[in-house]
Amino acid sequence: MGSTDATLAFARGPLFYTALLIFIAGMAYRLVSVLLLGWKRDRVPNKGSKLRGVAVTYAKGLLIFPFIPWVKKTFRGNQTTYLAGGMFHFGLFVVIFLGTAHMLVWKSLLGFGWPTLALPIVDFLSAAAIVAMIALFVNRLANPVLRLISGPSEWLNLLIVFLPMVTGYGLTHHRLLGIVALPYENLYLMHMMSINLMLIWIPFSRISHFMFYFFSRTYHGAQAGKRAVMP
Amino acid sequence: MSTTTAPEAPARAAMDSFIHTTGSWVASQLDACTRCGICAEACHFYEATGNPEFTPVWKVELLRRAYEQRFTLTGRAKLAIGLDKPVTDEDIRHWSTIVYEACTLCNKCAMVCPMGIQLGPLIHDVREAMAEAEIIPTDLVEAVRKQEEIGSPLGVTDDAWADRIEWIADEWEVEIPIDVKGSDTMVAFTSIELMKFPENIVAIAKILNAAGEKWTISTPGREVVNFGVFEGNPDRVKLFMARLLDSAKELGVKRLVVTECGHAYDLLRWTAPNMVEMPCEVTHIVAVIDELIKAKRITLRPGAFDEGGTITFHDACKIQRRGGHIEEPRNILKLLAPTSFKELDRCREESVCCGGGGGVIAIKEADPLRYKVFELKIRQMEEVGATRVAMTCANCRLQFTESLQHFGSPVKAVGLSHMVAESLVEEK
Amino acid sequence: MADETIYQYLLREGVSRRQFLKICGALAATLGISEASPLLAAGLARPTRPTTRLVAEALASKPRVPVMWLNFQDCTGCTEALTRSLSPTLTDLVLNKITIDYHETLSAASGVQADENKRMMMETYAGQYLLVVEGSIPTGANGNYCTIGGRTAVDLLQEAAAGAAAVIATGNCAAFGGIPMAQPNPTGAVPAYQLITDKPVAHIPGCPAIPEAFTGTLVNFLVFGKLPELDDLNRPITFYGTTVHDRCLRRPFYEAGKFANSFDDEGARKGWCLYKLGCKGPTTYNACAGIKWGGGLSFPIQSGHPCLGCSEPNFWDNGGFYQGQSAPISRPTITVAGAALAAGAVIGVANAAANRLQKRHADADEEITESLSG
Repeated sequence: MGSTDATLAFARGPLFYTALLIFIAGMAYRLVSVLLLGWKRDRVPNKGSKLRGVAVTYAKGLLIFPFIPWVKKTFRGNQTTYLAGGMFHFGLFVVIFLGTAHMLVWKSLLGFGWPTLALPIVDFLSAAAIVAMIALFVNRLANPVLRLISGPSEWLNLLIVFLPMVTGYGLTHHRLLGIVALPYENLYLMHMMSINLMLIWIPFSRISHFMFYFFSRTYHGAQAGKRAVMP
Repeated sequence: MSTTTAPEAPARAAMDSFIHTTGSWVASQLDACTRCGICAEACHFYEATGNPEFTPVWKVELLRRAYEQRFTLTGRAKLAIGLDKPVTDEDIRHWSTIVYEACTLCNKCAMVCPMGIQLGPLIHDVREAMAEAEIIPTDLVEAVRKQEEIGSPLGVTDDAWADRIEWIADEWEVEIPIDVKGSDTMVAFTSIELMKFPENIVAIAKILNAAGEKWTISTPGREVVNFGVFEGNPDRVKLFMARLLDSAKELGVKRLVVTECGHAYDLLRWTAPNMVEMPCEVTHIVAVIDELIKAKRITLRPGAFDEGGTITFHDACKIQRRGGHIEEPRNILKLLAPTSFKELDRCREESVCCGGGGGVIAIKEADPLRYKVFELKIRQMEEVGATRVAMTCANCRLQFTESLQHFGSPVKAVGLSHMVAESLVEEK
Repeated sequence: MADETIYQYLLREGVSRRQFLKICGALAATLGISEASPLLAAGLARPTRPTTRLVAEALASKPRVPVMWLNFQDCTGCTEALTRSLSPTLTDLVLNKITIDYHETLSAASGVQADENKRMMMETYAGQYLLVVEGSIPTGANGNYCTIGGRTAVDLLQEAAAGAAAVIATGNCAAFGGIPMAQPNPTGAVPAYQLITDKPVAHIPGCPAIPEAFTGTLVNFLVFGKLPELDDLNRPITFYGTTVHDRCLRRPFYEAGKFANSFDDEGARKGWCLYKLGCKGPTTYNACAGIKWGGGLSFPIQSGHPCLGCSEPNFWDNGGFYQGQSAPISRPTITVAGAALAAGAVIGVANAAANRLQKRHADADEEITESLSG
């Protein structure tokens, strides 16, 4: 029997199952480890409103800057990071949540689905995200600051996120690349394998920033809010 | 960099301090970082020099290592297989230079961080570890010693202080109440104002007297500056703070007004309540002035400073960005110079630090860097064609005065309180 | 009789030369795809001699190849598909004129008589006949789940395979184990190739196998004396070279993101893509979308049902038929996920506790250092 099919079934079955559990357990470990280290109560009297600061910081962070970054003056010095970073995240979220194949994964996990976008749109955005990742990689290589602050795991992070994206993109283009590339199930297998690797890797790397983002952003908003400063 | 005699193992002492400081807050902030490097562009030290080591997040590198290697499973594994570097004595010495000489704790980096990480306070935590390891710039050690023993980092003794206050009151013919119990307001000045900008003390005295405020200064609480903050030693921070707060309690005042001192305001207003029991509320002189104007307790001559070219405003990191008094100075300036007031390109919470804060101005070794950074400020002022620049922080003003002189710039740095005092309309 | 050519045999069976050439044309059409050079296929070169003549020459010169057809754990669906195929010339040829000497289900003889036929055939054509297997072979209970005339399927298969020139495993059961081998596989069923290791085995998987794919492979062996080119799962590339998805008539709807969300919604009525209803077309290699069924009339997807992936190994156990193909095959239940969450949290609590202890030690350490220096 073909080893690809057996391995694919394994990657989609027991391995994904295990990876998902490791992901869940790992994230819980990270969250609890941080939460239980001890918080200090803030007894400082407010000048402004903490709640307003938090609301404003999320509104700015999620609605304004990702779409019109040039309103922020720091944008001038970090155009690559802003544009490529924004494009990467936007593409990633659209592909993960509005790609039909991915929605079906969510549906099987959550029990409900939602409408999705047409393949060419998702396809274009995933290509854009891949290009953005390459730009981010080159930027990280070229920029002395980024080179300095990048450890081995930062380079690995890029690779580990890059693999599922490239194999996923290849999946929808296996015919186009068919002459030189791999058949669908080989790409599917590589996609699942890289996804599993990423799921296991996330809790132990900085890709988990999606969870801690809410800590630092909330805190930032509260700090600015209590001082009545624009966060 | 010259340092004091350090304990045998600075790295160990620093590690202990890192572990001590790392609670949920620090951990969550460090874990949120994506190493995007955007904070670099926010740092005036990086912007001026292009030195990647001045990237704010790199300044907390040792804290990150300590946290990951001691508190997380991954960090331990990474250290074991050589994917991460341990914290060595050499590292402590190296980073000590960076965090003391190339950081003013201005926290602008936190404003640009996409994750909103509070890098300023984190760098302050690194300074605490340096203090614990006793790898601190000699000038800072000396200033701290002076404040501890003499009562002022500039070495102003009790007698010298009393003489100086008496001289100011005589020279400018202004009444300065000392140690008056039952006053509403206790005002705490800095030694910088006392020695370098006495007219600021005069101005504040005139304003408060004109408003009929029941105010006083305190002999034991005469120094608002707190070099313990710059050094990063919490014990001395508390010690110096206690001198002020105990006096305030003793005098029974309702509020403590911090004058033109950035870090002291940041400390007393936004940090102290979490460290000690507060005897009264704390506010900044610029807020008091704005309040007095609004309450019509003082009247100013509108447009008093419209003549004499463009006037701009320098936002102090600790009073505006971290202090929250962004609107008040603007209210006053719009009244005093409605047509000639012009904002700098990057202002308000996004302002560029003067480069002298965080104790940097007290460190002789940091002078070249400090001047280099000030070039940014000069460029900013040139862009708007300013001939005068107002500010609410004496430390900024010291940096401005010195650096403007250093570069031979014609721009004049003025204290906002001074401007207000000059345009007071005498009543009754 | 063994040395008689196929042509001679057909003449003896009453086939005229004209009919023979017609047969050759039909056979050539089946083989055309695999044997024509890419240049020919693209119409860039003219054939030096017609493919029909190639086949005619082969049939005129090659000896007739006898075929033995064995049924084990099957539903006879593959035989049914073949006999009801709407390619009459071909089927008639294969079933009645040319080849099949022994077929348990179709045989007129039964019992001892049938057994005797088989024995004689194995003796006469030893090393020459083609063995076709339908159904999987049970190995559990010493093979006793399936016996014929008191002998186990394993025994019968191995005996028949010993004298065969090549083996064709038709249908998913014979090729990959099919339904009998699906979890929990109570009879210990295995596909034919696991028991036949010393003979070439071609797989014609499907549930049932497409008759044209079967006959095409058979004819290839008749004409060229060897099995056609096979893929890594031993399927003839001619019929299993592309996925159902690649040739699907609903493919444009997939690209456009137009999907049927249920079997009776607007999308289903409009003939949109069935991917969300669990279609396995993208990973299924078969000729359904090209050759189709019922003489090119239709195939499941065209009729409104998603592809089940019946020509792929383990198609019964590769996730639900109506579950999107991208969905994981197995996923944790809420309880298991909750347990993982709790386990992670416990590690987190332990880690945090250890770290708080560390913090306390660090504080004690600081005090010691202070007292030493003070």
